[in-house]
Parts: sequence; C-alpha cells; structure tokens
Amino acid sequence: MDQYLPIVLLLGLGLLFAAGSFVGSSLLGPAKKPTGAKIAPYECGIVPDHEPPQRFPVRFYLVAMIFIIFDIEIVFLYPWAVIFREIRVFGFVEVLVFAVVVFVAFLFLISNGALNWGPAKRLSEGMPSRTSDSTILRITATPSPPTSPERAA
Amino acid sequence: MTLTLLAAGGATIPDIIVFAVSAAVIIMGAFGVVTSRNPVHAALSLVMTLFGVAVLFIEQDANFLAAVQVIVYAGAIVVLFLFVIMFLGVDRRENIEAEPLVGQRPLALIFVGVAVASLVALLVSSHWVTGAHGVVGPINGSVNPGSPGAPSGEVAQLGKQLFTTYLFAFEATAALLVIAVVGAVVLARRERRDLEKPSVESPDDEPSSDSSEKEVLR
Amino acid sequence: MRVALLIASASLHGGIAMPHIAYLAILPEIVMLGGAILLLAVASLVRSALNVTVITVSTLVISLASLAAALWQFFDVQSHGAYTTLDHAVVLDGFSVLVTVLVASAMALTALVGDGYQRREGLAGPEFNVLAMVSATGAMLMGEANDLVIVFLGLEILSIALYVLAAFNRRRAESGEAALKYFLLGGFSSAIFVYGIALTYGATGTTNLTQIADFLAKNVVVSDGLLLAGLTLLLVGFAFKVAAVPFHMWTPDVYQGSPTPITGFMSAVAKAAGFAALIRVFVSSFGVLRVDWQPIIYALAVVTLLVGAVLALIQTDIKRMLAYSSINHAGFVLLGLEAAGALGKVGARGVSSALYYLFAYTFMAIGSFAIVSVLGGRGDAAHEISNYKGLGKRQPFLALAFAVLLLSQAGAPFTTGFWAKLQVVAAAVDANSVPLAVIAMVSAAVAAFFYLRVVLLMYSPKKFVSDQEGDRLENLDASGDAVASTSAREPLWSGSGRQTALVNELNATLLLESSPETIEVPDEREGDVVNVPVLAVVAIGICIAVTVGFGVFPAPLADFAHKASLLFMP
Repeated sequence: MDQYLPIVLLLGLGLLFAAGSFVGSSLLGPAKKPTGAKIAPYECGIVPDHEPPQRFPVRFYLVAMIFIIFDIEIVFLYPWAVIFREIRVFGFVEVLVFAVVVFVAFLFLISNGALNWGPAKRLSEGMPSRTSDSTILRITATPSPPTSPERAA
Repeated sequence: MTLTLLAAGGATIPDIIVFAVSAAVIIMGAFGVVTSRNPVHAALSLVMTLFGVAVLFIEQDANFLAAVQVIVYAGAIVVLFLFVIMFLGVDRRENIEAEPLVGQRPLALIFVGVAVASLVALLVSSHWVTGAHGVVGPINGSVNPGSPGAPSGEVAQLGKQLFTTYLFAFEATAALLVIAVVGAVVLARRERRDLEKPSVESPDDEPSSDSSEKEVLR
Repeated sequence: MRVALLIASASLHGGIAMPHIAYLAILPEIVMLGGAILLLAVASLVRSALNVTVITVSTLVISLASLAAALWQFFDVQSHGAYTTLDHAVVLDGFSVLVTVLVASAMALTALVGDGYQRREGLAGPEFNVLAMVSATGAMLMGEANDLVIVFLGLEILSIALYVLAAFNRRRAESGEAALKYFLLGGFSSAIFVYGIALTYGATGTTNLTQIADFLAKNVVVSDGLLLAGLTLLLVGFAFKVAAVPFHMWTPDVYQGSPTPITGFMSAVAKAAGFAALIRVFVSSFGVLRVDWQPIIYALAVVTLLVGAVLALIQTDIKRMLAYSSINHAGFVLLGLEAAGALGKVGARGVSSALYYLFAYTFMAIGSFAIVSVLGGRGDAAHEISNYKGLGKRQPFLALAFAVLLLSQAGAPFTTGFWAKLQVVAAAVDANSVPLAVIAMVSAAVAAFFYLRVVLLMYSPKKFVSDQEGDRLENLDASGDAVASTSAREPLWSGSGRQTALVNELNATLLLESSPETIEVPDEREGDVVNVPVLAVVAIGICIAVTVGFGVFPAPLADFAHKASLLFMP
C-alpha cells in the first residue's frame, strides 16, 4: 500500500486547504450574514417578480463535450502507449483510425462554432420565417383571422 | 452473507472492510442522487458513488481503471452534468409531486422490493466461482515470462485485450463518440427552449435569450 | 464447431498475436461509417452549407455501396462458408448478410424519403443523414456481432443516434417529448442490458457468443441462477428495442413524435437489429437453455400480438396506429423466435421465418411511413386518420400505394406480408406451438380491421362535397381531436391541472399554426392535394415493388431467408 501514500498525503493536503479556506474566510471576512434582500438582484428598486435568468452559454456545454471526447481518447491511448513496442505498426494504424474518426468529430464541433467565443453567431439555418399571418395566428389563436381576406374565399 | 462469500473467495479482512465501506459509500451516494432536491447536490452525490466504485477497482488491483473512473466520470462527465444543470438554471424547481399515473410510486416501491429480494436470493443461491479469466494481472509480476523486456502490469494487460479481443469494439467506440458530439451539437446549438420545456412554446418562436421573459408575460 | 477457441488467452503468454482481420466481413460497416464520417468532415470543412441534393446523393451512394458490399459477402458466404474474424468478435454468415442487406436498403430508402422531408421542413446540414448512417452502422454491428460487447456497442450506436434523430424536428414539441421519453427509457433499458451482460459474464466467464455456447455445452451449470438472471435481463433489453409488449410503452409516443422518415427507419432498422441480435444470442449461445427461455418468449409473443392488435383499433393518429401495428408485427417475429428454439430443422426454419418476416416488414414499414410523411404536410403534423378520408379521389396513386402496403401489413395474398405471416405461423405449428399459431391468426384478423378501416376511409366518397367551408370545419374538427388526444396521453410536463390546461391551449395554438391547412394560403389546399417529391415516389415505388414482387414470386426471397441460417446452430 506504500504506493498510495502520496495520494493519501495529497488528499490530506487538499482537505486541509479546503478547511483552511473556510476557517480563514470566516475569520477574515465581515461577519454579516446575507439576507434575502441583500442577495436579491438590484432592479431599479422594483422587487423582481421572477428569478433572473442565470444560464451559461451553450458553448460551455460544447467545450465540455470536446473535453470528454478527448479525455476518452486519451484513456484509450494510454494502454496503447504502454504496449506500443509490442504491437508496432498494427497498433499504430488502429489507433490512427480511431484518432482520425474522433478528429472528425472535433472538426465538426469547430465548424459549428464550439470554440468561437466572439459575438454570438447565428448558427441556425432554415428556421421558418415568421410571417405576419403566423404571428397573428399565434396571438389570437383563431383559425381565420380577419386580416386575411383570401381565407374567406 | 456477502462477507462469508467474500471470505470464501480468498479475501482478507482488510479487503472485506474496504469493500463494506466503499459499498456503503456507493449506496449512500446513489440514494443521494435520487433524493436530493437540489440538482447540484444530486450531481455531487453521484461523484461520491463514482469514487466508491473507484475504490472497488483499486481493491481489485485495477488501478488504471480506478484512475480512469475518477478522471473521466467524476472529473469530466459530472462536470458536464453540472454544466447542463447550470445551463438550465440551478434554482429551477420541477414539480415532482404530480403523479401522471396514479399509484406509480407505490408500485415502483413494490417492484424495487421484488428486484432487490430476487437479487439477494440470487446472491444466496448462486455459486459465483466460474471459469472467468480476468483482464487484470499481478501488478508487479511479469505477464510475459518469455520476453524479459516486455512491459507488464495491468495497463499492458488491458492494452493487449484492447488491441486483440476487443479491437473491433475499440474502433466502434469511435463511432459512438462521433455521434455523441453530433447529437450534442444538433440538440444544443439552437438554444432550444422547447426541448427543456415542450409545449409551452409556439413552434416558430425565435430562440433568443429573453424568451424567459416572454414566457412569463404570456 | 469449426472455430478454434481462446486464441487470445493463449497468445497472452507468448507475445501478442494480432487478430486476423477479414475485411470483407466488416466491409459494409466500413463503407457506411467511413462514408458518414467523410460526409461529416467535408460538410465541416466547406464554408457554405452543403446542398440537400449533394447530401442525399452521397448518402445514396454510400448506402448502395454498402449494399453492394453486403451482396459480395453473400456470394462469399455461399462459396466459402461462414466464419468469424477479429478474434471472433464478428461473424460473417448468411444471417449477418441478410441483416446487413436489410439495413443498407432501409438506409437508402430513408435517404430518398428524407430528402423531400428535409426540403419541406427546411432542415439544412448533413447531420440528419450522418446520424442515420451511423445508426445504420450500429444496426449492422448488431447483426454480425459475435460478442456481447459488440452487441451492446451496436445497440448504443443505433439508439443514441435515434434519440437525436427523434428530436430532430425542433418545430414540433412532440418531437422533443418523443426524444426525451425514448432517451430516458432507452437509457434505462441499456443499463439493464449491460447488467445482463455482466451477469452472463460472471456465470460463463466470457462475453463471446461462441465461447458462451461452448461453455454451456461442456459444463453443466448446477446452480444457474446467475446465468438465468443474466439471460432475463438481456431479454428485457432486447424486448425494449423491438417493442415487445410489457416494454412497448415508448413506441406510440416516440413513433408519433419523431420525424416521419425517421419513424420508418426506426420501425424497420431498430426492430430488425434488435431481433437479429436477440435471435443470435438466444438461439446460438443460449440454445442449451431453450427450456428456460422458450416459455418466456411464448408469453411475450402472446401479449405482444394481442395488445398490439387491440390497441391499434382505437387510435385516431395514423402514426400511433402504425406504431401499435409494428408492435403486433413484433409479436409475429417472436413467433418465429419461439419456433427457433426448437431443435434441428424446425429451429432453422424458425430463424429463417423470423428473418423473412423482418425483411418483408422493413419494406412495408418504410413504404407506409414514407406515404405518411408525404401526406403529413409542412410541419409534419397532419397525421389524423380522418385526413385520409377521400384520399383515393384526391391522390389516387398515393392512395393505391398506401392501400397495397396496408393490405400487405394485414397479410393479404400476393404480398410479402402474406408469405411472412404464413412462414412464421407454419414454423410455429412445426414447433408444436399450435395455440400460439392460433392466437397469431386471431390477432392478424383483428389487425385486418384497422388496416381495412384506413383503406375504406381513403376510398369513401364523403369528402367530395367540394364545399371548402365544410372542408375547413372538418379540419378544425381534426385539430380539436388532436388536442383531445394529446391531453389524453398526458404531456410530459403537465404538473398540475392548471398547467395541463395551459399546455392544451398552447398545443391548440401550435396545431393551428403548424397545420398547413390553416397557415398556407388556400391555393395550396385546392382539394388538399400535396405534391409528392420525386425521390419519395421512387422510395415508395421500390417498397411496393418489393412487397408485391416478392409476394407474387416468393421463391427468391424465401430462398435468401432460408440460406440466412445461423453459423452456430446448436
């Protein structure tokens, strides 16, 4: 079990750091507990009637996706690296095939703007165009709005 | 009962203790996932379960798998879950009290009870000793006595299995990863509000960041 | 048993012997997956979005190349016999060839139908076809897998792509609901399936199907609780995929919500792949345990046949009706599987009859859903059965095609549906399951009702009042019905009564908006004639040709199915 000693030590250090952070912040920080009014978002003095939208941009999700894909690829690469000298070209080709396929997934992500952190790019194509007809329909929810005279025919 | 079975399989007392503790951690984590009201707490309970499984891997000398378990599952996948939770809003409350099918909860309890009982019955009645040949070899012992320079250990064993018996499975995994990416992009890229909340959005609503306000105003 | 065992474990002790790869055995998969990946790469690299035509044509070329590779496999198997490759992970035999041919043709047909659909719904990008192709690769893997791990990977590749495809139409709320239901239940069933693999591995010490069969042949498992539990869990996983009855709950909702070309693909390919793997695992690996699993399959077949037929009677949505009819068809295939449990020639007949049924069903299902897709109109929402009233006058060819396909599904003579039903029932009788055969006949009679109802509706003269006003009212009626049916099957998010009301109201809005009758200007609904895309006509034509052609001349297809016996018959 000697080989796990460093891990246990690291674990202890991590715990120590976490506990230290809590203790330190409670000692050093102002001792005022936040109230509901204090943590509420300021909205021109008006009490907000619903929770403000707190959402991550979807790109975070795509980045996490990239991370997982390559994480799993590396998991497979490690055993390959260990026995690389024994399986030689065969193993190399097999891993290459695997890596190329995964790389195409990466290309696809890039082309869809997964790593594009500029101003929001319109990714959607082929969204139905909104016509005045459909808008009127949506608001009034009646099948025959008065504004479309052709319908009476 | 489990303990006697384990002992019969040549386990030592520390083995049994480690198993019992990590099994308890796994089950507690699993309960935490199901019962937590806060989705973030549920995700963290999942981490606990995954750590427990990693400990079980280590106990069976599958150190590499344990590391993978922690890095990929606890490290990456749960983080992805957290991203999704944040994406949907941490403080969103779903009404989970409603029962679309009357009586499904008691029925579910009964079925779970039956399943657990049959598992226990299986545990008692079965002989677990089989002709299984594991992938995992001795950590320090050489698996290739013939060639002294050859790498040994469980990662090498795993690699050999991966590139011989499971070669095709290995390559097929690439396809799985690709569709995971394509699927994620297809579902996520248009900030689809109607996926997270179907039927409360008219179909041709432009996906926009202020759609939550519109929803409230309606 | 002409296959050497355990090369892998022997090789571990003296250097690594790389597995021999017979590329022919995996050629259709390589073509299909490689083509999909290439298409994805090209689409990612070019600046502008690829044209739908380009994507459809390349998908067709890839599918047909895959089909050609499968036919090459067939001739190879005929001349050289069946074999396994890649360390016995993959098997090439008549069975796998038939499944591959079926999946590749289904993919080509889906590309044809999907082209018009993508144009109509304005979906750009290669994802639709790429996902379908990767899904088809997964189905092929399931057909030729000789290892439970490969079966599982094939199942996951097939299913995950289908989950996404089910949600592909963003404009329909049902699409998202269908995908979510399918994903949650499918993920659950996959977990059960993996558990089954683990228990089977625990009991036999291997996941290789040949080695499992070998282990069970050489060892008498005294206390086989573990093995039986594994077997049962595997069966649950498969039964979910093929929509056998206690595990069919997802089918109507998912079929209804998915984009219609995908529904056709799903009903044909997912069912065929699920049954292929189920038959291979149960007949060739667990053949020794037939006494244990045959009664379960028997019971599953009985409830699947009856529930599918009876519930289809009361549907008002054509896609839901076809979903229940697909459940009924699954019952017939189970009939073949039950017979396949028998020993010797009878068992082989059971296998080939089940395969024949799957093959016939593939073309009937894809053809039917192609027609439903074309008639669905923009928004893919006009699927009320009442919409089919008077179709025979409005669009005689489409109505005729639909009538032929429905009659074939009902089992009318001179169609493949008839021969398929005949084969499985005969196989069941051979296997001494006469009560089961009788139940199957009864369910076929019940099923004939709802198929004929649609056929009669199409040719009923009621709709020719040519009075637009009355017509419009009828449409309104139809959407009212749709709302009623939507609320009846409980939208996923209806937490409280108030919310349900809200959802209903919005559903009404949605339906009114998305149904072409109310949005489009009246000139398009001159008599409600939809224009049928040429490629869809081709697809429907091929389906009709196969259904009727092999119905009139059943010998070639029956011969094909007969040659498609398993490599490792016990």
